[in-house]
Amino acid sequence: MHNEPGGSSFDIKGILKAQCNRSPMLFIDRVCECVPGQSARSEKNFTYNEWFFPTHYEDDPNVPGFVLVESLTQSFLMAFLSLPEHFGSRTSFLNIKDATFRRRVVPGDRLVIDSQIASFKRGIARGTSIGRVDGELAVSAEVTIGLPKILEQYKPKT
Amino acid sequence: MSNLDTYTSAFVDAFRVDANQVAALAYQSIEQWDSLGHMQLMSDLEERFDIEMDIDDITDFSSFSKGKEILGKYGVTFDA
Repeated sequence: MHNEPGGSSFDIKGILKAQCNRSPMLFIDRVCECVPGQSARSEKNFTYNEWFFPTHYEDDPNVPGFVLVESLTQSFLMAFLSLPEHFGSRTSFLNIKDATFRRRVVPGDRLVIDSQIASFKRGIARGTSIGRVDGELAVSAEVTIGLPKILEQYKPKT
Repeated sequence: MSNLDTYTSAFVDAFRVDANQVAALAYQSIEQWDSLGHMQLMSDLEERFDIEMDIDDITDFSSFSKGKEILGKYGVTFDA
């Protein structure tokens, strides 16, 4: 199945349906493998046309760290926003741990991201995302993401 | 580590407060204990005590002291 809630792969049209990030803050191009509720493998192709390269840096263009973390996160989102009940939902960051940068990512690189959910309950997803370029580790992080519409149901009574 | 130590540690870790401050904590008494902080605390407590709380207990969990009462329902006791 392709691009539909519960699907096993998503192109850019499916990604735009499944999550709320939009250009210039959308940092995955394709989800080539997805097991809804468990994992996603995504790709992001960086070309010199990206808005940040001319200034980061003029003489040495490379992808800013925050963009890499956002790429990891957006791939991770697809691992649970692909579930029919959460398709298209808004999300919020709760935590980022151990963001590690091992390799510069430059124009022409394809970042392949493997995202794995460790736990997902009551609207909180925890897990890891690992980005590689040509099979070489580039960036990794542990992320915790919340679904505000679900979290709202568990707020303490005051 | 006693259950009380484990319980206290969960609050210290979730809200970055000193252990001697936790007994007075209640939901929204500090900015860290908001709705998101609450869910992180609930998940952490479930993991530390290997329990799974009902939605009613999660929404009733409004303070450090009330939480001890609620955890008692899951067999987590705080006897000295």
